[in-house]
Order: sequence, then structure tokens, then C-alpha cells
Amino acid sequence: MKKIKAQHCRVIQNKQVGKNGDYYSLKFDEFRVSRSIWPGNFLHVKVTDTVDPLFRRAFSVADYDPERGVLEIIYKVVGRGTSILSQKKKGDRIDIIGPLGNRFSSPGRKKTAVLVAGGIGFPPMYFLAKNLVNRGHDKRKILFIYGGRSKTDLIEMQRIRRLGVDLIPCTDDGSYGFKGFVTGALADRIDQLDTAQTFVWGCGPEPMLAALQDMALDIGLIGEISLEAPMPCGVGVCLGCIKATLDNPRKYVRVCYDGPVFKLGEIKI
Amino acid sequence: MKPDLQIEIGGVTWKNPVSVASGTFGYGEEFANLIDLNALGAIVTKSITMKERPGHPPPRTCETAAGMLNAIGLANVGIERFIDEKIPFLKKLETVIIVNVAGSTLFEYVEVCRLLEKAGHFDMIELNVSCPNVDEGGMEFGTDATSIIKVIGAVREVTTRPIIAKLSPNVTSIVDMARAAKEGGAVAVSMINTLVGMSVSIHDWQPRLTNGTGGLSGPAIKPVAVAMVHKVASAVDIPIIGIGGISDTADAVEFHLVGARGLQIGTANFVNPDTSMTIIKGLSEYLKQRKLASIHDIIGKVQLRS
Repeated sequence: MKKIKAQHCRVIQNKQVGKNGDYYSLKFDEFRVSRSIWPGNFLHVKVTDTVDPLFRRAFSVADYDPERGVLEIIYKVVGRGTSILSQKKKGDRIDIIGPLGNRFSSPGRKKTAVLVAGGIGFPPMYFLAKNLVNRGHDKRKILFIYGGRSKTDLIEMQRIRRLGVDLIPCTDDGSYGFKGFVTGALADRIDQLDTAQTFVWGCGPEPMLAALQDMALDIGLIGEISLEAPMPCGVGVCLGCIKATLDNPRKYVRVCYDGPVFKLGEIKI
Repeated sequence: MKPDLQIEIGGVTWKNPVSVASGTFGYGEEFANLIDLNALGAIVTKSITMKERPGHPPPRTCETAAGMLNAIGLANVGIERFIDEKIPFLKKLETVIIVNVAGSTLFEYVEVCRLLEKAGHFDMIELNVSCPNVDEGGMEFGTDATSIIKVIGAVREVTTRPIIAKLSPNVTSIVDMARAAKEGGAVAVSMINTLVGMSVSIHDWQPRLTNGTGGLSGPAIKPVAVAMVHKVASAVDIPIIGIGGISDTADAVEFHLVGARGLQIGTANFVNPDTSMTIIKGLSEYLKQRKLASIHDIIGKVQLRS
């Protein structure tokens, strides 16, 4: 197996997406693929070549074009690391290790795929939806529930629409689409779904994932969620990004290495 | 000509001075798809205790200016699983294997080392008498000279392997601790372990680590480590393995200059898993540029200002 090494990739685009002002899409190439890239995988990005901030920042893969060798991450500026990242210009080099982590599993084409994205949990859900469509999953059997606080928090809506999947936008304030949380939108639809023939994926803020997990356990839905955690190493050695399991609160798993994708019902959120 | 990087510590030959610090490299296997493990001078495992430990509840790491705080709490698989599951991988490697051992009682240190000795397939023991993150033991053993002498002496009774004492910087005189390590029979000291630190969130007014305090590591502590290595090298005749924020070749050279014979790369492994590889190549180039034949030509050669 080829070693996964840090690579200095070339930024080909780093632009704001959406109207909120905090969301960016960064695309880069000159990335040598050591291991196939799947929805759920993440990239560990060093935003400076200095020691402060010291650690890499983890971003899930938002899109990958194998023909052109272009990778994309979509991020929200939330702190110093992402703020520095947002300053990168076309032609700059960024230091990237990846792809890291596990991936979303394939439940089979017969199933109805329900993708639940909240806020900045959108990128891996988009990549997954695109991947499902590309692999021939019936578009009518892909339900994409996408929630944000307000209309401006919903980004890249045209891109999801272009996939031709069944899209339900939601906003907490009702400024666009369904008024309420993504789990509310899912509850509205649940009667139309054969739960035994449904597979749910979720990515978003922890309260959303907790609500989704509770609901899934309650009605017997199976699926997976992708978690986020500050990750010093990203490769499973520092044991900093751990979460407790639902069965045993003293048993920990590493988000970076055992995840970031976990079964619904596996992790205490 | 290729400069000679080989060093010897307590009768064990390392092909180069670069090893990896306990707790930053798992049990070695985690790095197998990232770097060439056999290129390392030595590998130091995570701290092994008698029983399996899950460690502290999260959050147990946080980033600070040019460094990190951690309070992992000696999470490890315990000696039995280490022997059954981790040694089989480690024994296939062509590098020096150093098992780091921790305990909360004297008995635990001795018992873990006795079981290790029985299992075999390793080269050295590093005694963690300096973990700042556990309630009992750990650092308590390392902040009192008499305890250091006692624990090393007791472990020597049950092992033939050379013992390295990993020293805490959270003491009044690290020189006294190094002297005690030598008196107890350690072949070397590795230093420094992390410095006790704390960080508080201004949003919820809570410590950023569940444990409250943690151990500070990374580039932020390097000058402290360099000063302490220099101090011990000047006062005690014992080989030193330098640890503390080493991130590149320049850092490595600096530690050698003040007297470190071996090195451990710690937090930098998290940022760039191949830091150790870069430093091994870099040391060779540094010596070549300076027309020096051996790594020993820079060890302890700091030119003090008069």
C-alpha cells in the first residue's frame, strides 16, 4: 500500500458560496491519489506553514472530479484556521494529507436513500448524493433534506437541484422551504417511506444528529452519521477526538480513525 | 561520504538518534501506512499499565499557541492485550523497540515490567515517572528523588532490559531527578515530559479540558526543554534523550548541541506524520554540509558565551 503523505496542492479556486458570507468553496488540483476517495472521507489541511495555528484542520470531501484530478472542500469561517484558509488565492499551495477516515456504506440500490444535512454538514451529504446518482441509484429514491437557520445558510441549492434528487429545504425561521428542523421535515415524510427499505445518512450539528438518532432508534430506521471533532492528528494516534459509545459510556472511539462515519445508534451524542 | 548517525544508549545501538515520543505514535502500527518504521532509530510505545484504561472523558486535548494541552489519562490496552496484540507487530520491525511503562503504584510498575520481560521481543524500557494527568502515581514518582531511585531499582530486579527514566519538568530541580535516575540504575534519561498547563474558555468559563489541567507540548515548550537538557547534560554524566517541541532538523540539531544523544519527536507527529523521516535526512545533510563525519561531532558542542 502506498504511504499517505502530505502534499502541496495547487489552489485553483477559493470563493464565497451562498449569500451568508461565511461559506467558501475551495478547489485544488495536483493531488496524487494514494487511496480511492469516497464520500465520508476527509482531508487534513494545514492552513499555514508556521507553528500557529499548529494543527491541521479536517474538512470532509465535498466533491471530487477524478478526470481533472480536482478536489473540493466547502467550509464555513468559524475561527482562526478557517479565516486564514479563506485568504488563499488561486495558485497558492496548501498542504494536505488525505483522504483519511472511513466512508459511508452502500445500502443497495433498492433502498430509499434519505440524506439529512444541517448547516455545514452539507458537503459530505452533497458528495454522497452525487455519488449515489453516479452509481445509478434511482433519483426518485433519493431524498435530500437540507436545513439551515435561515435562507442564507442554505448554500449550493442549484447544485443539489441539478442532481435531480427529491430536495426538501428547511429553515429554522421559515424564511425558505419547510419551517422547522430537518427532523421535523423527515417526520412529515416518514409515512410515505417504507422504513425497512430506507437508509438514512446524516451530517450536521450535534443537536441535530442527536435528534436524528433518537428518531431513528424510535422508529427503527437504520443508517449512518458523520461526526465532527477537533482532531490534532487525524490518523488515530493522539486519542484526542474521541466520543463515547452509546452502549458503554467508558468505551471510546476515535472520530478520525474509527469514523468519522458511525452507525446510527452507535455513538453517544 | 555518508555521515554516521549511529548512537548507542545503555548498550543498545540505534541506527540514528531519531525516535518518537510515547503517546504520539500509538503502538507503531498506526503509522505503518504513513512512514517507513524501519528507518527510525527507535520506537517508543504508548504508556502501558497493568489494566486497560479508557482514559479521561473528552474533551481531552486542546490547541494552544504553538502547542497543545492534553489530558488523555494514559489510555492504553493494558499489558495483557499489549503482549497479545501489539508485540507481534512490533517484533517484526527492524528498529529498537522501547516500551513505555506507567503505574499508579510501585507494584504496578514492577508487575508490568515482569510480564514484559516474560513476553520478550523488545529492547528497552522507558519508565513514565512523569505523567501529569493521572490522580495517583505518574508524576508523583518523578517529583521525588527517593521514589525515582526506588521505582527504577525495583524494576531492575525483574528485567534485563536497559531502563530509561522519562523525567518531568514540573519539579524544582530536574538535575536532582536525573541524578536519582542514575543512582537508581537507569541507563539514560528522556526529557522533558509535558509541562502542567490550563486553558479556560471565555464563553462558558469552563476549563477547555475535562480534567481541568493538562500537559503542554509542542513548539511552545522547546526553549524550556533545551534549557533543561543543557542543565542536566552539564551536571550529570548520563545519556540524554531530548524531547520537547522538536519539529524540524534545526530543532534536532539544537537539542544535540546542548547535549542530547537521542531525540524523540512528539507533537510534531500529529502535524506531519513524516517529521521524523525529514529530520533523519536533514541531520545527515547538516553534517555533510559542515563536513562532519558523525553525529557525535555535534552532541554537547554548544559554544557558551563567555
